[in-house]
Amino acid sequence: MRATEEDQQGPSKKALKKQQKEAEKAAKKAEKQAKLAAEQQSTEEDDFAKDRYGVSAMVQSQQKLDRVLVLVQDLTPEKADQRIWLRARVHTSRAKGKQCFLVLRQQQFNVQALVAVGDRASKQMVKFAANITKESIVDVEAVVRKVEQKIESCSQQDVELHIERIFVISQAEPRLPLQLDDAVRPDADGEEEGRATVNQDTKLDNRVIDLRTTTSQAIFRLQSGVCQLFRDTLTNKGFVEIQTPKIISAASEGGANVFTVSYFKTSAYLAQSPQLYKQMCICADFDKVFCVGPVFRAEDSNTHRHLTEFVGLDIEMAFNYHYHEVIDSITDTMVQIFKGLRDNFQTEIQTVNKQFPSEPFKFLEPTLRLEYTEALAMLREAGVEMGDEDDLSTPNEKLLGRLVKEKYDTDFYVLDKYPLAVRPFYTMPDPNNPKYSNSYDMFMRGEEILSGAQRIHDAQLLTERATHHQIDLEKIKSYIDSFRFGAPPHGGGGIGLERVCMLYLGLHNVRQTSMFPRDPKRLTP
Amino acid sequence: MALRELSSLEKYLGLKKPNKYSTQGDKKVPVLQNNNGPPLVGLVTVACHLVKQAKRPELLGDSAESRAVVQQWLEYRVSKLDGYAKEDVKTILKDLNLYLQDKVFLAGNQFTIADTFMYSGIHPMIVDLAIQEKEQYVNVTRWFDHIQHYPGVRHHLPPVAVLRNRIYTSRHH
Repeated sequence: MRATEEDQQGPSKKALKKQQKEAEKAAKKAEKQAKLAAEQQSTEEDDFAKDRYGVSAMVQSQQKLDRVLVLVQDLTPEKADQRIWLRARVHTSRAKGKQCFLVLRQQQFNVQALVAVGDRASKQMVKFAANITKESIVDVEAVVRKVEQKIESCSQQDVELHIERIFVISQAEPRLPLQLDDAVRPDADGEEEGRATVNQDTKLDNRVIDLRTTTSQAIFRLQSGVCQLFRDTLTNKGFVEIQTPKIISAASEGGANVFTVSYFKTSAYLAQSPQLYKQMCICADFDKVFCVGPVFRAEDSNTHRHLTEFVGLDIEMAFNYHYHEVIDSITDTMVQIFKGLRDNFQTEIQTVNKQFPSEPFKFLEPTLRLEYTEALAMLREAGVEMGDEDDLSTPNEKLLGRLVKEKYDTDFYVLDKYPLAVRPFYTMPDPNNPKYSNSYDMFMRGEEILSGAQRIHDAQLLTERATHHQIDLEKIKSYIDSFRFGAPPHGGGGIGLERVCMLYLGLHNVRQTSMFPRDPKRLTP
Repeated sequence: MALRELSSLEKYLGLKKPNKYSTQGDKKVPVLQNNNGPPLVGLVTVACHLVKQAKRPELLGDSAESRAVVQQWLEYRVSKLDGYAKEDVKTILKDLNLYLQDKVFLAGNQFTIADTFMYSGIHPMIVDLAIQEKEQYVNVTRWFDHIQHYPGVRHHLPPVAVLRNRIYTSRHH
């Protein structure tokens, strides 16, 4: 009722007051804005340094500058008092009165930089520098200065940069999905200080940002090193690198864990390993081959060490009389990789260790080789009950790794002569005991990284074994046929790149060493 | 279980004539029908009687203090260990581990029946432990291994494998 009365009488006193207040507010706001604009204009006018900072036009390759951009890692006391240009990300910025401190980051290196009001920089320039959002990319002209006290928080501890010009090349949005400092904080530290750490899934959801952390940078530089060392070592041993198809017509190791893809009017599989093809290359007289490429496993296992797509490092070679020639060749390759990492990637290893502490990786030369029966004896002595022909379960595998480490002080060893029953159909049976086979696994820190064997190079025996495993002979006809026209005895193995990196660094999840991991629950990014 | 333990104790004590036992109630409390007196009821009561019968009083402790400790652990055995809950295992082992830190036997430096009954009472827990856990409760493991190798104690219980060297470093805990 009152409302209608009010309508008739026009606005009430209360409403009038409200209106008046709002009008006042608007006026004040306009005044403030005008003042701000005026101020800005005036400051712009008397900003002597206005050409020394700003947001650059988008780089569309308009010009070729003769400018040399120095790398952050090269900023050492030798460069003191030089004027240099550099491009880096703004890791953090902190304004403090007439100064603004920035930490400029480039990959895993960072350096402290400073903009201070003086004859080179104006108040406005310092303000601008302080307001650059984290992770923006900037071009900076600065003078390198030695510092008296080491800067503990930066990788370049002996120098800092006195900025004279700063231009934003690419601006980052102000809100980051995760903070880089949180992402590299060791778990233990976060708990103790009550500070944030970032959980694995958040990291993986925002992989592009997470990959910028010093830890990720180090991990993937080391991973690249593994590939390179693998290639170099094998090439030196006379191996040939081959490329094999990933779309295949038959599963190589049992049909259960393969991805099926539709292939025109029929279906095909994604390769579980280049197994069949590298063997065919052996039959085609390539003698020693290796292959680096994606491998697919459709196992629905969500564990710390399974991925559905990973990078396989595969080796296959013909040998003369005994498959141990193959084992020796592979273990030597692994040892070369371990040595290469130890000697050339110490910085990366240290960087990862800061966040994920682990003991240095130990290995023996020549590599320790144990037979399956010996391993069973060790496990039984430790109280594990296992049948003679049982496969190793993951916990037993890890326990065996600890027992071997305790006894032989090595994180890398070969387990030879697996029971035939637990290996694929193309595995050569042991001539002395048909229950066992000429097959082997290799372990790092108690986890399997390589599975290999002498293969059957006799078409008839191969057919027998395939039938025994109930494999459709029609589908592997071309494979079996390749052995009909003279095939040398041969063996080989396949390594998972991600696992090698994970275990070498003593990490706990294979997703940490996969750049864009694929597992049953993750298909993006 | 209690009956097998008592017959195991009889063998250990070297008693020639095995006694006949019956049980009482849902919890199958052992009962010994005594020829010259009322029946004896309960594991600990019967055990103490057997020890006296065998004239081995030192197995109940050789001083007033150690006698009290032995009774305390026997009490602990029947009240805490019989029918223990899965979630208590860690607490039990942790406490015992701390207690055994500076002792060879439960009552100090002398073997008593507290050791035999705690051994058989804790056996089902130890059997299920992973090697890493055995290392975690290293004092319990040491004591347990000692007792299971003590002449005549293990009897019907299966031996538990114990490693002499530590295989896990502190970082693995």
